[in-house]
Amino acid sequence: MSQLAKVPSTTKVARKRKWRGDNGWGYAFIAVALVVFAMFTAYPVVSAFIISFQEYRPLGSVFIGFENYVNTFSDALFWKSIRNTIVYTVLTVPFTLFLSFAVAILILPLKKRTQTAFKAIYYLPAVASGVALSVVWLWIFDPMPSGILNKLLHVFGLSNMNWLGASSTAMFSLVLMAWLSSHGTSIIIYLAALLGIDESYYEAADLDGANFLKKLWYIVIPFLKPTTLFLLVTGVIGSFQVFQNAYLMTGGGPDNATTMVGLLIFNNAFKYFEFGKAAAQSLILAAIIASISFIQFKFFGKNIEY
Amino acid sequence: MRRMRVLALVLALTMALTALTACGSSGKGNSGKDNTAANNTTNAANSNEATNNNSGSEEKDTITALLPPVSGNFQSMFAEMEKEFSALYPNLTLKIEPASWEDITQKLDTQVNAGSPPDIAFIGSDGISKYLQQNMLMDLTDTVTPEMVNDYDKTPLEYMKRGDGLYGFPAYMEVHALGGNREFLEQAGIDWKNVQQNGWTFEEFREAIKKGVVKEGDKTSRYGFVFATAGVTGKDYLNILIKNAGMPAPFDKDLKFAYTSKNYLEVLKAVRMLIDDGSMPKELSSVDAGKRWNMFLTGQTMITGKGLATFENNANQNNEKIKANDGSAVTGSIPVEYIVLPVPTFLGEEPISSTVVDGYVTFRGKKEPTPEHKANVVKAAYFLASGKVAAMTNNDLFAAHITESGREAAKSMDINRNPDNVAAVEKLLSHANPPRPDIPSDLGAKAIKLEDEVIVPKLQALLANEITPEDMYEAVKAAAIKAFGEDGIVKD
Repeated sequence: MSQLAKVPSTTKVARKRKWRGDNGWGYAFIAVALVVFAMFTAYPVVSAFIISFQEYRPLGSVFIGFENYVNTFSDALFWKSIRNTIVYTVLTVPFTLFLSFAVAILILPLKKRTQTAFKAIYYLPAVASGVALSVVWLWIFDPMPSGILNKLLHVFGLSNMNWLGASSTAMFSLVLMAWLSSHGTSIIIYLAALLGIDESYYEAADLDGANFLKKLWYIVIPFLKPTTLFLLVTGVIGSFQVFQNAYLMTGGGPDNATTMVGLLIFNNAFKYFEFGKAAAQSLILAAIIASISFIQFKFFGKNIEY
Repeated sequence: MRRMRVLALVLALTMALTALTACGSSGKGNSGKDNTAANNTTNAANSNEATNNNSGSEEKDTITALLPPVSGNFQSMFAEMEKEFSALYPNLTLKIEPASWEDITQKLDTQVNAGSPPDIAFIGSDGISKYLQQNMLMDLTDTVTPEMVNDYDKTPLEYMKRGDGLYGFPAYMEVHALGGNREFLEQAGIDWKNVQQNGWTFEEFREAIKKGVVKEGDKTSRYGFVFATAGVTGKDYLNILIKNAGMPAPFDKDLKFAYTSKNYLEVLKAVRMLIDDGSMPKELSSVDAGKRWNMFLTGQTMITGKGLATFENNANQNNEKIKANDGSAVTGSIPVEYIVLPVPTFLGEEPISSTVVDGYVTFRGKKEPTPEHKANVVKAAYFLASGKVAAMTNNDLFAAHITESGREAAKSMDINRNPDNVAAVEKLLSHANPPRPDIPSDLGAKAIKLEDEVIVPKLQALLANEITPEDMYEAVKAAAIKAFGEDGIVKD
């Protein structure tokens, strides 16, 4: 009996010791990050979930069940915004990955100093304010004959285009903006991954008489698969949340041709004060992004060597 | 080792606490650099609440105001305004938080939704419905004095009402007109003085702007008319035109949605016609306010819109810069004599000028404001919207005065305006769009949403020649039926 009584007491002492030792310190240190995470990430998510079932009012919200979700699913503009977001994502993410990869491959053989210079040049737009960049792009897309892009068209004998004002070109204009201005981070990540490939693989390939394309196909691409998956997932997530470009460049127009789901959520929340509907749409968007990420991991995550 | 761990933990906690404190400043205490308008509001309300039982009107109080650069010199007068207010009411402090036009709405909305808005904010009277729906406005009806009410012209004051409630004081009532280049108008043989006084029909206007077009080969070097339709100005174009087509408000007197009227379709056809004539640029849907003003000053258009009285001032200032060979004049600009012109009328309808009434709207926080604080807010709002402050601001804007005290104060101030333009604006104000405080705030909010989500996007498509006027009319009608029901729309 007395022996049995001793067992839990020993465990308790051991636990206590453990808690006072490294484990305790570990918990103490992550507690700070945990509190910050709970306050600024977990709490807003839980709060958004609750608000999505309410008609939000600063002086007292009203519970309305699934009405915000029902209204969202029956809203044609919501589906149009989802479609626009998918089109934008499909047009921007793969091209961005390809371009970043190609630039990284071109930079790789250069001397370290030149590499750094190119990395800085490509990363510069990421440092610049998005608003400032948008102003420059508005100037480039000026619809009148004096606009930079239109002047370029005139050189080829083409008439000027209403870049941001016509449905046929507005989405393409935003895509073009994404194609030409947001590769810095991807290039640096690709370059770091390329530098991590052991030289011995290339040497072995040289001995086998492999040319550049063979080395690319059999060495580089397989080794960069984890990096590509990471950039693809984060790229798709970022693209689904795109807001700034549409907000500053077109305001979602013309005829909602560039209304992305992020912009729609913003408008519902801050233009019409329909926070409940905006919260419901945010959660639906989160579910869509999570599903797409899951599919990406499922299909592209196979045979990945970490 | 243990000491190092404790030190590291203390440092980490200090860092986290600093971050949390900065984010969650509750505004306790009235001093400090981080004293935002929202915090001050809470302070003011709290201090009033604390002294509710024994306070008189002489209790100390702070009134906060969120104000944009209403006129060119407005924000530079803030310190003086605060000082003068304190001199007038020694127990009261007026604390003004400046905001830019770009971020004032976002700042205000954030504060409103957090339940701690400033006491006063400068916004358009059309924004009242939005905040009223949130129950965040302060009704001044039982607090304003008859002297204050009698100081105002009746029409602009009515714009600050919804139902029986009064939610602030108007600063000015400006008329949305068009602006012409005198030299070009005369070259095109347009009797602008006659137009200023007697108006013009759409047909007359259409012919007039055709004469203003100048071509160099295939290229148009000057358009007859350019109106800003991109960005925030998108809704202005149609709104200004339809008022002169028998639709002065989104709802008729029976509160039926008016933009399903056949006249609406006729205006849409007219919008398209002016572009197809070549009198307006085919890229109109991308022309924003800055672009069209640049086109006006550089001689690329004979008439521009929308035109506000203050544009005469802007044009005069640019003329001075050109004369003085000042490098800050608009690049490529020419001297322009700005002429106020009315918007054309449609289908034989009476002219009704589109007006904009902006003013000092009063807000409440989560807690019910005390009568003392309410009275103090009224004093501050009236101080800003009348007398010397109003006179200086409206003179700066070339806007008509709407208070007796403002008119009186303005007598001693110089203003350089074209008398023909003054007369033209007075004429336009004589048939100003009447306010509609009878439109319920929820109906008003629905109409605003329909305008943003259907009318403006469809108008952009119409201007870009992607849909026909009939397509747009049907889309608006369908959305209106969905929002207001079959019986909630005008059928003619």
